[in-house]
Amino acid sequence: MSSVSNYNYDVIVVGSGAGAGPVISEMAKAGKSVLVLEKGPWFTEEDFFKDEMACCRRSIYTPKLEDEQHVLEEQLSNGNWESEATSESGWDFWNGNVVGGASNFMSGFFYRLKPKDFHLLSEFGPIKGANVVDWPISYEDMEPYFTKAETEVGISGKVTSHKFQEPRSTKDFPYPPTIEHPVVNRIDKACEELNLQSLPTPRAILSQPKNNRNSCEYSGYCGSYGCRSGAKGSSRAALLDDAVKTGNCEIRPLSKVYKLKSDNKGQVTQALYYDANGDSQSVSAKVFVVACHAIETSRLLLTSTGPKHPNGLGNNYSQLGKNLLFSAGGSGTGEFHYKQMDKLAASAMKTRGPFVNRGLQDWYFLDEKSFGGKAKGGIIDFLLRHPNPISKAMSTRWNEDDNLNWGHDLKRDLKAVFTESQDLRFEVFNDWLPTDNCFVSLDNNIQDKWGSAVAKVRLGYHEHDLKVGEFLAAKAEMVLKQMGATNIRSSVSGSPPANLVAGGCRFGDDIKTSVLDADCKVHDVENLYVTDGSFMPTGGSVPYTWTIYANSFRVADIIKGRV
Amino acid sequence: MKNTPLINRRQFIQLLTALSAGWPLAGCSTNESTTASAETLGRPASDTYKQLEEPWLSLAEVQQHLFPADSESPGARDINALGFLQNMLEAPDTDTDEKDFILKGVVWLNDLSNTTHQQNFIQLDTEKKESILRKIESSNAGSRWLSLMMTYLIEALLSDPVYGGNKNQKGWQWLEHIPGFPTPNTDQVYFKLSGGLDKSRRRTKA
Repeated sequence: MSSVSNYNYDVIVVGSGAGAGPVISEMAKAGKSVLVLEKGPWFTEEDFFKDEMACCRRSIYTPKLEDEQHVLEEQLSNGNWESEATSESGWDFWNGNVVGGASNFMSGFFYRLKPKDFHLLSEFGPIKGANVVDWPISYEDMEPYFTKAETEVGISGKVTSHKFQEPRSTKDFPYPPTIEHPVVNRIDKACEELNLQSLPTPRAILSQPKNNRNSCEYSGYCGSYGCRSGAKGSSRAALLDDAVKTGNCEIRPLSKVYKLKSDNKGQVTQALYYDANGDSQSVSAKVFVVACHAIETSRLLLTSTGPKHPNGLGNNYSQLGKNLLFSAGGSGTGEFHYKQMDKLAASAMKTRGPFVNRGLQDWYFLDEKSFGGKAKGGIIDFLLRHPNPISKAMSTRWNEDDNLNWGHDLKRDLKAVFTESQDLRFEVFNDWLPTDNCFVSLDNNIQDKWGSAVAKVRLGYHEHDLKVGEFLAAKAEMVLKQMGATNIRSSVSGSPPANLVAGGCRFGDDIKTSVLDADCKVHDVENLYVTDGSFMPTGGSVPYTWTIYANSFRVADIIKGRV
Repeated sequence: MKNTPLINRRQFIQLLTALSAGWPLAGCSTNESTTASAETLGRPASDTYKQLEEPWLSLAEVQQHLFPADSESPGARDINALGFLQNMLEAPDTDTDEKDFILKGVVWLNDLSNTTHQQNFIQLDTEKKESILRKIESSNAGSRWLSLMMTYLIEALLSDPVYGGNKNQKGWQWLEHIPGFPTPNTDQVYFKLSGGLDKSRRRTKA
């Protein structure tokens, strides 16, 4: 171990999710002493059951909103912004506050960004009202780390050549695809008939064992659930467990960092945190890494004022918290009724366990009159309705007249929803354009249980996002129709998905327009890095997790060179 | 993917204010049938319903009306919906406001029943029960109370049997639901998951 005597640790990492795991494991494996300060508890595989009450009905993996919450600002029809605390609205913005973060509960369908995603401004030009910029690095800089994530995190898939296939340095994925649900045959057939190319979706789920992790058990309950077998590539299962085994990494759960203290030179000297007993502690390191979720990272830096950073660390040009990103798009559904199939087909449709590994990238980039020529599109991903029975049954609680449904009417509806059809859903992902109306600040009135100001998030979106989302949803509906689905419907809105967040500390070459430099170091702080999704200036039209993993591996190599 | 909470904070405060202003609060004390059996989360089997006291007697009757048995499917008693509700109201993380609201609603229900029919809810025939509950539903607070009752009923029908409802997996069987694995035992229910609170076991030293 190469501890410097003046410091408690070589590296302190705040947070332990997908943005933190690669830095933690790479540092520990390189012999550096690492302390991980994680706000949440430490669950292991033995704590995870297929229990809807624990995963989804009660706040077990997320804080009680009375203790810790957000304030959300939404725009009213008159143009004014109205803010509401989430403990009032019930709109929970937490995802997974545990060791390993929300990656414990992801469904793990993973996409790389494409080369053009790194320079959208140069490629497609400006969009009025949107702060689109090029990234300070290129796809070629990131490619080795996308590849590294495939082997280190464990990504299962099959490379299929298509018109927007991104370049790869390896031929194929290190693990073959996970087992697929029979419905994929119907999707493939319909897409072929429509002259579309249905593509196998890569998953951060092991189809074969890896070290101490088992392969997937195909219980059919994946997203929202902690993984029992270790197959899911959470930061915890894939990276942290091995990091701890090196003897160089200490994970302190239930440790809430509330401030990074900086000195007269503007360097971070200490992390101040509340321990499990609520007592304040301080600890020092050579290098500090913050990766505690895009919104919370901005919040911590805004709170961390110091002599050289009177408005928060990295906020001398008022960029901190700005250009927050969600994922734009929406979702839709079509029904397949068993009575319209033969017995064998119905039985196949009822299969529970394997994955619907299919998506469409035919419209990742558009050349459409309605978009004025070349434009950025997005992806469509297919999935079955989540099998959680309570949540499924809750959809029958209200009848068409908006009265409560009960008695024999309710029972008839329940029977129909559960036993007469299978729902095939789709999700549309397109870029959430960065705007001046989507950002993180500190709320002046509401504090968490430790007395720190909570994050206030303005949730503005760009109308262009809806236009792209609706374009893609119509294409997805076309596929469902070709498959013979009934009651097809979809919904595209500017309502942000709380589980797909990035930005707030965009990286760039100019301190006046960005928080981080190209290395994801805060421009004017020599020993502070941010490695969660906060760095992204634009988000791409895919879930962020693979990119977050890859970038954290990239920054880990940079930090390794200096401690 | 998180579900919407049962009821939000602001609604609670509004409802409690409304309740304390208009409705008597006496007569809803809990009795010994609420004492949890910590090992099993076990709750009254259906043959003990006769011995129930208020407010549980009325709550059981409301549940049975909202979720009646028929020849092909279980009713509230068959799935032990009351036992589930009692277990949940005693779970350490259950909001005491929510518990108060449910229990105070029983008083309100019987007040209305007595005013309208000079009988407690359990003594009414099915038609009168339906009309009383629909009347309750027409008020904001009443609708919230019934909605909460329905939520607990649906959870009782389809949650893991370890929580006391879904007795013998009758709910899952009726709806042909295939559960995942592994499922929790009584020491692994959501409010007993320590998640690192046992620091001596979890912490590792560099």
